[in-house]
Amino acid sequence: MKSSFYTILLSLLLVACGGNKKPDLEDIEESLASEEQSTPQISSENIKSILASIPHPLELSVHVQESGINYNASYLNSTDNYGNYNSSNKKAINLGIYGTDLGYTNIYSQIQDGLDYLSVVSKLSDDLNIGQFLDFKSLKRLTDNNSNLDSLLMITNQNFDNINNHFIAQNKSSLSALLLTGGWLEALHITNQVTLTQMGNKNLRERIGEQKIVLDNIVLLLTVYGEQDKQIADLLNDMKKLEKAYEHVTISYKYEESSSKIVDGVLEIVSTSTSEVKITDEDIAKISAVVEEVRNKVII
Amino acid sequence: MKRLLFFITLFSSAASVALGQCDAANIASRCAPGPESGYTLIKSFEVDGKGGSKTKIEYSYVFTKGTKYLVNVCGELDAPDGVVVTLYDKYRNKVASNLYDGQVLKAISYPCSATGIYYISYTFEESKEYCGGSTIGFKRIG
Repeated sequence: MKSSFYTILLSLLLVACGGNKKPDLEDIEESLASEEQSTPQISSENIKSILASIPHPLELSVHVQESGINYNASYLNSTDNYGNYNSSNKKAINLGIYGTDLGYTNIYSQIQDGLDYLSVVSKLSDDLNIGQFLDFKSLKRLTDNNSNLDSLLMITNQNFDNINNHFIAQNKSSLSALLLTGGWLEALHITNQVTLTQMGNKNLRERIGEQKIVLDNIVLLLTVYGEQDKQIADLLNDMKKLEKAYEHVTISYKYEESSSKIVDGVLEIVSTSTSEVKITDEDIAKISAVVEEVRNKVII
Repeated sequence: MKRLLFFITLFSSAASVALGQCDAANIASRCAPGPESGYTLIKSFEVDGKGGSKTKIEYSYVFTKGTKYLVNVCGELDAPDGVVVTLYDKYRNKVASNLYDGQVLKAISYPCSATGIYYISYTFEESKEYCGGSTIGFKRIG
């Protein structure tokens, strides 16, 4: 049973590579849902493609900041928890969580908290032997100065991007999957907490609902690694609970042909396609509760 | 010192071209939107056409409504060098391409009005090196 599942998955990916066409994420997802099997020998290229689909947590954090709500350190994972993380998996997922927390402190210009989170990010990176990808000196200088947020975010994101690419190149893409999952989970947690205090905030409600799309891809990734790793299998089960909490959320999409023009050598697109999210207060309460449950397991 | 670093970088690029290697990661890292652009880097992609033997490289990303994205494309020497990026929505409807009126442009700016998975597909059009890098930056639509 198990083996036919991965055989189909593998076949899809191999056919896609040979034909110079990658399978759509939906094709892979359908195969994972309908079959079962062993030996997840997936090319690093295909893994890269799925990993790349996970949005950057900073996007959600920026929406939170623009909601006008004040900075709240209690939303974040305490840096004191660093000592709890003994395995590579725990370190990777919490590196993602702390990375999101670092971004959150940065966009709110919280210098001391930013330095504390930078310090713990640096320690976890060293523990995972990826400290060379973190430009600690530049990040510390920019955080200290609090003068150039754009540069700070740019270097932080470049560093995390390099870490991801390094994990993939070193055949440690499961750590990359955990890093991205942690970052996304923390961003969703913060967004939920803020939204629970402003249930009328349509923008944040929609952003929570849209995460259903991302969750599908995270489940897809964790399914690939869960076969070989019990910790990841447990996390996958938790994410499936979160999928259940999202089951009544709907996202509709209507395509309209876009128009475009060249401005300063850049093609500017004007798009009139639309999407609409339907999410109730009850959905948000359920999603928040499951996210808290999963996050508490991960950070403690 | 800066001049020395410039020459070392130039030499490394020239050497990798001469050896037929594609240092796509390095090109992607040079392809980020500048801080002055107002865009924040969120993703970088390697575009290695393996000297022309590979005709298509594809990634995907969830674009969010209310956010403006800048997709930058670079070749060995910053110009796109025939690296064509085409955005498709989840149903494979074409949203945009930097191949426009016969020219390959350096970037696409996409103010997203519909959240969803988008496919970011790289192909080559009269490319010399079949080697490039690309990045996505974002900013909120104010």
